[in-house]
Amino acid sequence: MTQSVVTPTPGTEAPATIAGGGSRRRWVLLAVGLVAALALPWFVYPPVAMDIVAMALFAIALDILLGYTGLLSFGHAAFWGSSAYVTGLIATHYGVPFPVAVVGGALFAMLLALPVGYLSVRRSGIYFAMVTLAFGQMVYFIGYQWSDLTGGENGLQGVPRKFFGIELVETESFYFYYAALPILLLGMWGAWRIVHSPFGRVLVSIRDNTQRARALGYEVEKYKVIAFVLSAGLTGLAGGVFAINHGFVALTELHWTTSGEVVLMTVLGGIGTLWGGVLGAFLAVMLADYLASSGFDGIDLVTGSVFVLVVLLFRRGVWGTVRHQWLARQQRRTSSRRASASADPARRRP
Amino acid sequence: MKTKRIRAGAAAMTGVLLLGACGEGGPGGSGGDFTDGKLVLAVMNDQSGVYKDASGPNSVKAVKMAVADYKKKHGDKAVVDDIEVTSTDHQNKPDIANTKAQELYERGGADVILDVPTSSAALAVANQAKTHKKLFLDVSAATMELTGAQCNKYTFQWAYNTYMLANGTGTTVTGNGDKNWHIIYPDYQFGQDMTKSFTEAISKAGGTVQGTIPTPFPNDNFATFLTKAGSTNPDVIGTMQAGGDLINVVKQFNESGLKERGIDLAVGLMLITDIHSLGVDQFAGTMFTDAWYWNMDDESRAWADRFRDETGTRPTFEHAGNYSAALQYLEAVQEAGTDDADKVVAKLEGKKVNDVFLRNGEIRAKDHSVVHDAYLARVKKPSDVKEDWDYEEIVTTIPAAKAFPPAEASACSM
Repeated sequence: MTQSVVTPTPGTEAPATIAGGGSRRRWVLLAVGLVAALALPWFVYPPVAMDIVAMALFAIALDILLGYTGLLSFGHAAFWGSSAYVTGLIATHYGVPFPVAVVGGALFAMLLALPVGYLSVRRSGIYFAMVTLAFGQMVYFIGYQWSDLTGGENGLQGVPRKFFGIELVETESFYFYYAALPILLLGMWGAWRIVHSPFGRVLVSIRDNTQRARALGYEVEKYKVIAFVLSAGLTGLAGGVFAINHGFVALTELHWTTSGEVVLMTVLGGIGTLWGGVLGAFLAVMLADYLASSGFDGIDLVTGSVFVLVVLLFRRGVWGTVRHQWLARQQRRTSSRRASASADPARRRP
Repeated sequence: MKTKRIRAGAAAMTGVLLLGACGEGGPGGSGGDFTDGKLVLAVMNDQSGVYKDASGPNSVKAVKMAVADYKKKHGDKAVVDDIEVTSTDHQNKPDIANTKAQELYERGGADVILDVPTSSAALAVANQAKTHKKLFLDVSAATMELTGAQCNKYTFQWAYNTYMLANGTGTTVTGNGDKNWHIIYPDYQFGQDMTKSFTEAISKAGGTVQGTIPTPFPNDNFATFLTKAGSTNPDVIGTMQAGGDLINVVKQFNESGLKERGIDLAVGLMLITDIHSLGVDQFAGTMFTDAWYWNMDDESRAWADRFRDETGTRPTFEHAGNYSAALQYLEAVQEAGTDDADKVVAKLEGKKVNDVFLRNGEIRAKDHSVVHDAYLARVKKPSDVKEDWDYEEIVTTIPAAKAFPPAEASACSM
């Protein structure tokens, strides 16, 4: 019997590690990740560190669709940006603590994702990408033209950062980082839960063989819409924190280039690896930040070259390649152990 | 692999320590009261994209010229010896501008940020200036918001705004007999603001605007919009497009045959670099308002010669504006004897200035708009061009009081 009709894309070996891989290694990785997240603002300028973590959640949220459901959304800026605007507006007009505003923004993004997802998931592949791009641009132009509300071209300026009257968090970006980090980590944990739940397994099966998943009785469209809305919600969380971090919202957050940037980050880190997005975001944000004050005038040239190099040399992305090497080595080790184990008695035999 | 990571970590840590050490450097200036013992002028603009030629790296050089002139003028009496000029590329992205401005004020020791084109980026930097109580002298952004509703104590707008551009051209061209206008504009904030200001200026001067046509931005094909504008037989078509779009409009206007029908073209915002890139023959006869022109008199020309020795090219008004802003800032620091922002602002406010860029200039205290003479210019015919960059002929000087909106009209309250 043939394995599957659709050949799985290289680099998407997500389910393999869910089943295999020691839990001890996972705990070590988790600890390393947490320490890195906590230590980041000591080494990187805090607002930039916050950008990295927000972008990381954005990339992870996109990976739920791209890596685990097999849908390339090219309109995620709509959810990132609209949540940023809604967060900014709530914070400006109601003066609530910023986590409340961020949650409001994320809920709005989910609400917006419902009709967009419902209409988009009827198509797949390049058509899905184009439909989501079209919706993204529609939202962009609404933000553009509705300048009474959004500030149009000038952006939404002067978003306050309220946090239960704790002044250090409100004024110092270093402390704000630690106040906002839990929101983003919670989002990342949510993403991990989603892809490792039975629901996530169904998504993977839809990615690998839609027909078979449907034949098994799963309502494929419904699953896709739910994945889309969840992804948009997590994107919204990240976008909201991003808005509060900067104290203003620019129209570029809604622009399709933002959608492109996050796809780049996800591919850079590794599609279908979830945590690859963190590395991708780190690389992309640090590169942009470094080049901005380097005095070098070919910024796009550098980011473009890095992208081309990564795609050529690490087809699975940075994280994906490292994991692949690790797994390959382990497999070799176990198979050689097995081979020697079976060889030994053979040798003893006269 | 592991050792590499450790080494990278160690390197990063050393870097952070070094940076920290730099920030705490002891006082080294002579006399005055200066944080870190030095003055840092941070130029932030587009070093790599569409506005690179208009301002970009050459504005950094212009600011360095101002520092050299300040040192030369005051010599031993200068209150600060150690003056650093830094450069940041905001790539026209407001979020990068925002983070970088914050970083410059907090960690880069920046006493003032200069230039910042792109209105959204400039407004973001203005907000950071307000939060950190440090100076921001904007040169290249045109939005009225900077000196209007979103003004603040530490932000000044040095060179121009949409009112200046629209009022000069709209009033003068109408006064010269081109009463009937048709305006095409890019459909975003700048285009809308410009169209509003133009319409007001035209009707005040006794003209009429027969119609306004919004166009997508950016856009390549303006043929249909031009035909539509030409169908009402106006005396003049006003275009509010800028940069690459403007070049397309002008090219297609020249090809459309509207010129032969006696319809003029008036341009909202044009820089000398636009004329240079498309060729003077394409623009010949076009009227526009300029904040400054390098060949308008001997003083400007002498400075432009120095600028050419430094950069190999002629300055735009944005280059001259950056020079002027840096120079006046340094003078104010000299007077105040400190880099304390509040004291420097007090010295700048209300000051009357005449320098190579600001003629009959005044740094208005009410809204921090720097008003000065502006110029209505006409692009020369190719046969009249005597040397490279000799593209403009100044038709009239618009006195400062008329070039900028009155202070009472500003929505600013600090």
